[in-house]
Amino acid sequence: MRKKIGVFVCHCGINIAGTVDVKTVAKELSQYPGIEYAVDYVYMCSDPGQNMIIEKIMEKKLDGVVVACCSPNLHESTFRRAAQSAGLNPFECEIANIREQCSWVHKDKEKATEKAIKITEGVVEKIRWNERLQPIKVPVTKRALIIGGGIAGIQTALDLANSDIEVVLVEKNPSIGGHMIQLSETFPTLDCSQCILTPKMVEVSKHPKVKLYTYSEVQEVSGYVGNFQAKILQKPRYVDPDKCTLCDECSQVCPVVVPNEFDLGLTGRKAVYIPFPQAIPATYTLDIEACPGVLPIACGKCWDVCEPKAINFDMQPEVIEEKVGAVVVATGYDLYDKKNMAEYGYGKYPDVLDGLQFERLLSASGPTRGKILRPSDHMEPKEIVFIQCAGSRDPELHNKYCSRICCMYTAKHAKLYKHHVHDGQAYVFYIDIRAGGKGYEEFVNRSMEEEGVLYLRGKVSKVFEENGKLVVWGVDTLAGQDIEIRADMVVLAMAIRPSSGAEKLAKLLKVAQDSDGFFAEAHPKLRPVESLTAGVFLAGVAQAPKDIPDTVSQAGGAAIKVVSILSQPELLHSPLVARVNKSLCTGCGMCVEVCPFSAISLHEDKAEVNEVLCEGCGTCAATCLRAAIEVKNLTHLQIYDMLGVYLGGLR
Amino acid sequence: MNKDHEPRIVAFLCKWCSSAGSDMAGVSRLEYPPNVIPITVMCSGSVSPIYILSAFNLGADGVLVSGCHPGDCHYIKGNMYARRRMALLKELLPYLGLEPERFQMSWVSAAEGVKFTQIIKDFVAQLKPLGPQTYLRRSL
Amino acid sequence: MVKISDVRQEAKRLLEKGKVRGVVGYVPGTRGGWAIPYLIQEAERAEQLVWDPTCVHNLALFVVEEKKEQAKQKEPDKRPLAVMVKGCDSRAINVLLQEKFINREEVVLLGVSCENSGVVDRRKITHLLHGQQAGEIRFGDNGNIVVVVNSERRIFDPQEVLADRCLECQYNFPVVFDYFYGEKIKKTPPAPYAQVEKLESFSLEKRRQFWEEEMARCLRCYACRSVCPMCYCAECVVDPISFAVEPTTTAEEKAKKIKWIEKSPLLSENFVYHLVRAIHLAGRCVDCGECERVCPEGISIRLLNKKLEREALRLFNYVAGTDSQAPSLLSTFQETDPEDFIW
Repeated sequence: MRKKIGVFVCHCGINIAGTVDVKTVAKELSQYPGIEYAVDYVYMCSDPGQNMIIEKIMEKKLDGVVVACCSPNLHESTFRRAAQSAGLNPFECEIANIREQCSWVHKDKEKATEKAIKITEGVVEKIRWNERLQPIKVPVTKRALIIGGGIAGIQTALDLANSDIEVVLVEKNPSIGGHMIQLSETFPTLDCSQCILTPKMVEVSKHPKVKLYTYSEVQEVSGYVGNFQAKILQKPRYVDPDKCTLCDECSQVCPVVVPNEFDLGLTGRKAVYIPFPQAIPATYTLDIEACPGVLPIACGKCWDVCEPKAINFDMQPEVIEEKVGAVVVATGYDLYDKKNMAEYGYGKYPDVLDGLQFERLLSASGPTRGKILRPSDHMEPKEIVFIQCAGSRDPELHNKYCSRICCMYTAKHAKLYKHHVHDGQAYVFYIDIRAGGKGYEEFVNRSMEEEGVLYLRGKVSKVFEENGKLVVWGVDTLAGQDIEIRADMVVLAMAIRPSSGAEKLAKLLKVAQDSDGFFAEAHPKLRPVESLTAGVFLAGVAQAPKDIPDTVSQAGGAAIKVVSILSQPELLHSPLVARVNKSLCTGCGMCVEVCPFSAISLHEDKAEVNEVLCEGCGTCAATCLRAAIEVKNLTHLQIYDMLGVYLGGLR
Repeated sequence: MNKDHEPRIVAFLCKWCSSAGSDMAGVSRLEYPPNVIPITVMCSGSVSPIYILSAFNLGADGVLVSGCHPGDCHYIKGNMYARRRMALLKELLPYLGLEPERFQMSWVSAAEGVKFTQIIKDFVAQLKPLGPQTYLRRSL
Repeated sequence: MVKISDVRQEAKRLLEKGKVRGVVGYVPGTRGGWAIPYLIQEAERAEQLVWDPTCVHNLALFVVEEKKEQAKQKEPDKRPLAVMVKGCDSRAINVLLQEKFINREEVVLLGVSCENSGVVDRRKITHLLHGQQAGEIRFGDNGNIVVVVNSERRIFDPQEVLADRCLECQYNFPVVFDYFYGEKIKKTPPAPYAQVEKLESFSLEKRRQFWEEEMARCLRCYACRSVCPMCYCAECVVDPISFAVEPTTTAEEKAKKIKWIEKSPLLSENFVYHLVRAIHLAGRCVDCGECERVCPEGISIRLLNKKLEREALRLFNYVAGTDSQAPSLLSTFQETDPEDFIW
């Protein structure tokens, strides 16, 4: 049955009426086939305007309303609500944009009027075929998966758990804590990193709403917003955390020594070890890669001495399935690879350190108990050179982006160095000082002025060893001269990179990465914690380099975004999704290949759309050779009919 | 040939970038010739080549397909598929003797009201000397 | 050289053992020694199989037809179908596999080499023989073609008699097969896109004239579509007459069918039909040349498809039918795809 369509032409004061003869538009449309009623009015979006639409819908029994007015971005929802209040389906109301795309950009009244008529007629043709659609309702699992147990993941977990949402927190390392737990003191307040983080670690581990999986990795995520299924691989620890009493007997007898990751190789650890004393969960872990063999015959010394019999060589990897409604990616960073920094002797000379290694030297629990000593000979360095932007802001050779935290931690390092070595001299090579945070500028200035740290603007070309000294060749661009410093220690403010598993995780979550490998946010300004995949959010350095305050803020932001989804009884999804005409579908799978949201799959040789995943982009519709798939309410037929009207009504 | 012919152009604009960009042109009150009728689609990736052929068949003098810049697609990569399809069409049409100026693709972001305006101006200017498109136009 | 006895023996064995439900191959035709495609179901008839330069048909079409036939049957014979495939046929099979129209297990491919030669163009032979009937046409040495006319043996240079598609072919042996007969001699045609380039060198006006003359002749008999193994769609989007109208089809459904083009063979409609067909074959056409061979008006359909074949190669480094696992030309992209044509 043919729809009874009403057309409402808005003057928008003189915004439209100034260039478009709105009376003529209404008159022409009233004579257009199938139009029941057409009228113009000064402000359609005003209450009287809306009321007129509502009245006319009821009076004329309209089942289609076209409002010729401003861009649909502005008032589509207004008029759809009005139509709904008169008993129409929202999709029985459409907007013809005759302001932004017509009256505001043309001066010739006759031509603008002609164009406005065409635009409106086209929308009339479109609405004829519009279906009455209802939003798709999606049930919601009120739990969240957080990937990464650093400060970003911990903070998100706590904010969510305290909002009464169950959290599954997955960390690939034996303990949570991330990089923050490795730090000595934090800028700009110099409070002890461990002191402020460990209470949060404890809280998250004890929280009744948090399920913690350490030494675990997310293997697979399927489903969609509100309804994800995650497979989590829990690696065997070969130590039962419930039985382990942290007596350290096992570690003492273990014959294997490997570099200690927590100290970035500055110390060694045993094959059976605890990463650091405050590790959570508080248990030892047996590193199977380093252990000579789980067979007691190969070694088994740890098993022999373990009184509580916590060591269990029979532990197997376990895959746990968890259902969640939202996912937060908080996978943090790795330092830029050593091998890329050969020009600074990084990895070659033991006294060329990266920023994190220097943090460990500064840490009271670190390899030197907080004393600054050279790894090579345990002497106190009297001259120390800090090199900023090591691998950052260098599009030719390294990473093009700014790692954002280095200026600040270098200022901190130099300051702390001076606190330890009063008679030492610290030099900092920098490109610019970026100290944009609260109290940051003052912090850097204090380092320069109060501590006498010498800041040299310029780059270092080479670091090499000569007579037990590290010779640093650089240039001071302000003084315009070459500089040679014979230093005892060099600290590189290494660039930070997305953590090593980021690419794999991005693939399995179907989340985009930016050109640098960081997880891409949905919008750089307005949606900075959302990914483009509905229900997947980002927190911390996983999204872009940032410091602890920014990470904590973003973690809170991610948490509230999760809450905004999980607090709803059900999610509503736009019904403008693709539909398959099975009798035309040959199952070639091209739509499956092009779908950016993996919303289409093949079942019994026919394409099938998961309506919850489908975002209605229509790429499938243009790809299909058989017109067997189309997006509802913007079908080939609707386009064809619009073309017909615009180009002379040939249909 | 009728040099005073006012070309009729159909522009397929993606909702998120190019249609928003044309809105921006409006908000900025930038003027361009009224020869273009826009059809807002969800994504440039949803524009089937048959739409373009049909537009010419129904009498369009020019067809424009405009989407988000690479990397900006609201649907991540719809515009990348469009780019491939349109590249082939851009090659094929002149090969058959249709003036290459009659079909154009562009990237216009939501902020590029000025660019959108310029594109329409340029497009109209290059179509005018060609006169009406009768080559593929249906004549019953 | 392909030993046809080997092909026959394998076909016979497959049929005898019941491994396949039939063998699609070429058998001698009734007229003048031109082979015709045939579905052999009895083992003893395998002896009739031939392989010579008159085996012009793309047998992938029969895989498509058989598949459609099977879909109609209640209890179809699930055994695979054996098919003789030349280079182009095998690439068509690859596209069918890529588009999941068939599964690999559904076919047993008896691959035959084109012997560094190809199949002949009937029009060229007829012209050279001044209307005389060829008694036998077979592969000679060095790619030459031997034609027996009135018991006289004449040898033709491939340039004189081969179908244009074979002269421009770069895949004159199968790329996918279960059995292979003959030799794999990689042929590098001197100028596979010479015709396309020649047309491109014309002025726009001249190109338009050329195509107007071509398209004006189209009767819209759809022979090109019928013979094309890639045109396996149930309904052709551009052609309103292929719409399946059943007793249950409602008026609304009929109204929803779009007539992208008019039925009548107007010049404009012919253009749109062939343009849509060309675009729909982009990255899928393997240039078996069947469309052009069967066209009663001799329209240069290949010249259209060849253009897009060249652009797929030039712009996207894509060759149709060489990899059944890769995504199709238009269902994938590269970040580096050209975009200098975009404003």
